[in-house]
Amino acid sequence: MTIETSTAAPETTAPVEDRALLVVRDLRVAYQSTRMFGRKRGVEVVKGVSFHIGAGETFGLVGESGSGKSTTGRAILRLIPSASGSIEFAGTEVTAFGRRTPLSYRRDVQAVFQDPSMSLNPRQPVSDALLAALKRHGMSSRAERWRVAAEAFDQVGLQRAHLDRYPGELSGGQQQRVAIARALVLKPKLVVCDEAVSALDLSTQSQIINLLCDLQEQTGMSYLFIAHDLGIVRHLSDRVGVMRQGELVEVATPEELFTRAKHPYTRRLLGATPADHPEGRERRREVRAQWARVHALEEELSDPA
Amino acid sequence: MLKLIASRLVLVVPQLLIVGFLVFSLIYLVPGSAAAMILGDAANPEDIARIEAELGLDRPFAEQVVNWFAAAVQGDLGQSYLSNRPVTDLILERLPATLSLVGGGLLVAMLIGVSLGILAGTHSRRPVDRGVTAFTSLMQSMPEFWVGIILVLIFVIQLGWFPVVAWTPPDADPGKWLRGLVLPAIALGAGACALIARQTRTAIAEALASKYADTLTAAGVPRSKIIFKYALKNAMIPVLAASALAVGILFGTSLVMERVFAFPGLGTLLLSSVISKDFPVVQGAALVVCVIVIGVNLVVDIAYGLLNPRARPQ
Amino acid sequence: MTLRPEPKTSAVAVAKKADGPQSGARRVLKRLSRKPLAIIAALWILFIAFCALNADWLAPYDPLLNNFTPEGILQGPNPAHWLGTDENGRDTLSRLLYGARVALMVGFGSVLVAMVIGVPIGLVLGYRGGWADRIGTRFVDIIDALPGMLVAFAVIAILGRGLPSVMLGIGLIFCMNFARMARAITLAERSKLYVDAARVSGIREIAILFRQVLPNLAGPLVIQGAILTGAAIIIESALSFLGIGLESSVPSWGGLLGAAVRQQLVQPFFAFPPGITILLTVLAFNILGDAISEALAGDSRKRVKRIKRRAVADPSVALTAAATHASRISGVPTEGPADPDHVLEVRGLGVSLYGPGAPVPLVRDVWLGIKKGEVVGLLGESGSGKSMLARSILGLLPPGIGVTTGSILLDGREIAGARERDLRDVRGRKLAAVFQDPMAALSPVHTVGTQLTEVLHAHFKLSRGAARARAAELLDRVGVSNAAKRLNDYPHQFSGGMAQRVAIAMALAANPDLVIADEATSALDVTTQAQVLDLLLDLRDEFGMGILLITHDLGVVAEACDRAVVMYAGEIVETADVTDLFDRPRHPYTAALLASNPNAESESKRLAVIPGRVPLAGQWPDGCHFANRCPFAVEACTAGSVPLIDDVRCIRVDELRLEKVAP
Repeated sequence: MTIETSTAAPETTAPVEDRALLVVRDLRVAYQSTRMFGRKRGVEVVKGVSFHIGAGETFGLVGESGSGKSTTGRAILRLIPSASGSIEFAGTEVTAFGRRTPLSYRRDVQAVFQDPSMSLNPRQPVSDALLAALKRHGMSSRAERWRVAAEAFDQVGLQRAHLDRYPGELSGGQQQRVAIARALVLKPKLVVCDEAVSALDLSTQSQIINLLCDLQEQTGMSYLFIAHDLGIVRHLSDRVGVMRQGELVEVATPEELFTRAKHPYTRRLLGATPADHPEGRERRREVRAQWARVHALEEELSDPA
Repeated sequence: MLKLIASRLVLVVPQLLIVGFLVFSLIYLVPGSAAAMILGDAANPEDIARIEAELGLDRPFAEQVVNWFAAAVQGDLGQSYLSNRPVTDLILERLPATLSLVGGGLLVAMLIGVSLGILAGTHSRRPVDRGVTAFTSLMQSMPEFWVGIILVLIFVIQLGWFPVVAWTPPDADPGKWLRGLVLPAIALGAGACALIARQTRTAIAEALASKYADTLTAAGVPRSKIIFKYALKNAMIPVLAASALAVGILFGTSLVMERVFAFPGLGTLLLSSVISKDFPVVQGAALVVCVIVIGVNLVVDIAYGLLNPRARPQ
Repeated sequence: MTLRPEPKTSAVAVAKKADGPQSGARRVLKRLSRKPLAIIAALWILFIAFCALNADWLAPYDPLLNNFTPEGILQGPNPAHWLGTDENGRDTLSRLLYGARVALMVGFGSVLVAMVIGVPIGLVLGYRGGWADRIGTRFVDIIDALPGMLVAFAVIAILGRGLPSVMLGIGLIFCMNFARMARAITLAERSKLYVDAARVSGIREIAILFRQVLPNLAGPLVIQGAILTGAAIIIESALSFLGIGLESSVPSWGGLLGAAVRQQLVQPFFAFPPGITILLTVLAFNILGDAISEALAGDSRKRVKRIKRRAVADPSVALTAAATHASRISGVPTEGPADPDHVLEVRGLGVSLYGPGAPVPLVRDVWLGIKKGEVVGLLGESGSGKSMLARSILGLLPPGIGVTTGSILLDGREIAGARERDLRDVRGRKLAAVFQDPMAALSPVHTVGTQLTEVLHAHFKLSRGAARARAAELLDRVGVSNAAKRLNDYPHQFSGGMAQRVAIAMALAANPDLVIADEATSALDVTTQAQVLDLLLDLRDEFGMGILLITHDLGVVAEACDRAVVMYAGEIVETADVTDLFDRPRHPYTAALLASNPNAESESKRLAVIPGRVPLAGQWPDGCHFANRCPFAVEACTAGSVPLIDDVRCIRVDELRLEKVAP
């Protein structure tokens, strides 16, 4: 069993990359764990990841815990520094920014995080986040800021009355709509959705996914959609990347991935993903049992015991 | 295990150095010259210079610090300005009384505190819990020395159950020593027990509401086992931290309690030497108290590592 | 490794009256005003402050006025001197009133000093982080560990006696306390997601610090300040008692106490006025601090009513039984003994929350039967009541929640609302549970072997060696390699999936007839989830126990369950064999769930959506709970409560054809 490296990933040729909005090349991210007495020991969490996202495109990034997908997203958002590699956004090299991130980048690249009850400050009304962002980006007129915020709320399906509410007074779905409005209000080119629907109820998940689709059609922004669930990612994505333990093992369109997955890990992930119908489950169970027998040793090695 | 002790010991060394440094530098913060204070108003500059040379006070600061540390490590804490006796002797004379007070107070505080805490924690949010909280609030609000005074008024003066002279050295007469300790230990423990009781209560209540308590209950493990084996051990960690804190507080309050019960401890020594500006004694006594407190914290730290497997060095 | 949080499944999602857009401070004050004790405490402090400010005209005598005559000194209470006199013949009451000034000045002053020194240090340490924080914290810890009295002694030794040095000394004692607190709060806030969100919006770091972090400091500062003010008063009194506080002519409560000790043989009464005053004042500050702390924490700390084990009402009064008079509902007999094939029977169960008002129903009219060896999936979103149902079966309902109607029959034996004593026979032996978060479900300070053998010892008479051997066998059976050695490991040394296997081993230790898995795989990775589900199925094949699989995931139901029970807003809406459920859903909610499943194959990018939200307990509409979101609702749906009709809670069940509801 070979593990495909990022350089062998079936990525497209240079001309498409040149036109792409975001190009990530050989990105490496490490967490420093310093000790009081002793050398810094960095643990590499993202080990040389490369992919690109075009304008108006959705790239789904899928992986289990420890795969480094969220870390990749956070590095692109410049919430954590990258150790090496290149992140190119609209032709500009992002990793060269140094400590201060230019305001233009903060306008063009936005995020929607996983848990809306945590990504909104519980002590402030929900409009605060939007207004503060607008003010920071140079909108000096208060009336103007309120107008834009109200428009954003309309766009995401909230009422204007919601502007004054506190997060605790809204449901999970409504809170996430606020988070999306906050990202929208700066008219970004790329939005990183980090598990944006994982903490929501089943019935709310589909509402939010539809909303994200609609917004993309209206505004033409790109999404980096990070998730652990292949099923969710398949709906939104134009292309999907599968990550495992810091490496990008496969990139393909959803259709290719689901029918003709190349990498063994992808196939294993697909085999483990619950189906949408009981039919064929006996067979799936048998296949998984076979794998388990064959790969019993490999599982033991991956256990942190 | 050894690795755990070693790692904790290593961290204690800088602590001792810093504390020692602070204690030593105390006298240099006092306005005026120490020698002048010893000699009094009638001193003339030559006498002052002579005394300073004698006491080594004219040496550079860094040299004095090092000398003092070197001597201290060997057990020599200098001479008292007043009595000219070695500071170490003075301190050793006084140590048993102070240690008895602190030890007794800690024992009472832990006994009462942990028991009340378990009681309150197992009946969380019910009347018993509220009663315990009210009681501990009351205990926390009373000056310990006042409790001591009242206890003396009632049990020594009125009822005569305990001797007027409370202190007897333990080697002289253990029985009398213990009897004399009862009232001060209660007075000291009553104040400190509030802290321990609260921490215990919170920790036990949390442990009993935890998912692992649910798992064990659902698996059929009897409730008493869950309380005393599982909840208690999980609760021990914050309780130990509270106890370490209590020791620091107890050292402070015992200094005061010596006055009430006429215990010849470090407190009275420290007090008189502060008033008379007998700095070697002040430095020596302060250092000894700090070392003991740091030592207790070290023991607690190690115990913490033993109790909490995640805190051990991997 | 971060596990994703589960969807919002609060234990009890009861609708609360919205507090409205009030500012935090106003809300806290409102809550405080409802606590009588806090009001009394505040009044006492105001009274003391009043005395301090107006001592000049309140005090009957000049506090420094000596009356050094044999009859004048150390008088007990008398009409001329209400609280007697001290050893110099000075009026105690007057000195007490003036002493209030010193007490309050020292109290507030030293806390202020401590805050001014400590809070900035804590903020810097918490915000900077990194090595500066590490070293700085050590420093803070060292200073904090020093006995406070020593620090006070040192300051007084250097600066001499007097109010400023007392305030500084006590302030230094407390400053590291505030530093620690400020640091902890700043650290906690820094790692909050909304701080990240603000950074992504481009907000400057300083602005984040002031807007997001600092407001969180206000409350704890006030609480700690109140409590430490009381402590400062006690310390001042101790210093004055020792004679190194303020000058002895300045009237202070501690000085009075000090004098009282010296005179205790001559005039014992003298010790009481100052002592009681200190006690009451410090108590008032402590009560106020506690009350503010409770007010900030909100109503989560309300007093809880103890539920008496009530006699459980007859299941035949439950909705469906009364409405249809059927002899069996969802395969479960309405009366008489349990079906011998059934391991578990739930008949007409109702569970409610008992609060200040009327009981709020959380679960209603539940009819459920599980056969031996059957895997039944209980599917529901948050607010469906599925967790409450599980807990009522296990007898693990939180305080304040109880079973109101119906029966739970385990192997024919009634366990609804049973006492702890009676449940002990059943737990582990007949009934076992596996919960959601395996790391939280195991005690972190005990080895896995200890916990596993604990369960074994609770049910079997085994020697220690035999118990360990059996535990190793169990671990091996659930797929933990190197089982014997792993018995000595702690839970944090296992991965999530392995820890869940340990939890399963504990559940199986006494060979139960029924295992309840409450979202047992929700916190696990996809591949691990598949492994754990496969393991449960293997164990079912080998041991033949029934499994109740509680989940919010349709995929889990599809992969592992023989039958499925769908819950919505506290009620069962549909029960069916799993293939029937997916092929021919009969309740509009089930159909809508299936259609909006992101995992489902579908051509269009858009998913079907269920508009609206789940009604919370306490806000259930009359009639069908799903009616306001149902595309097929008619007027009759909201007329009255809907019973289960042929396993489906829908009055239109015979009319609707719900396969593949199109988006």
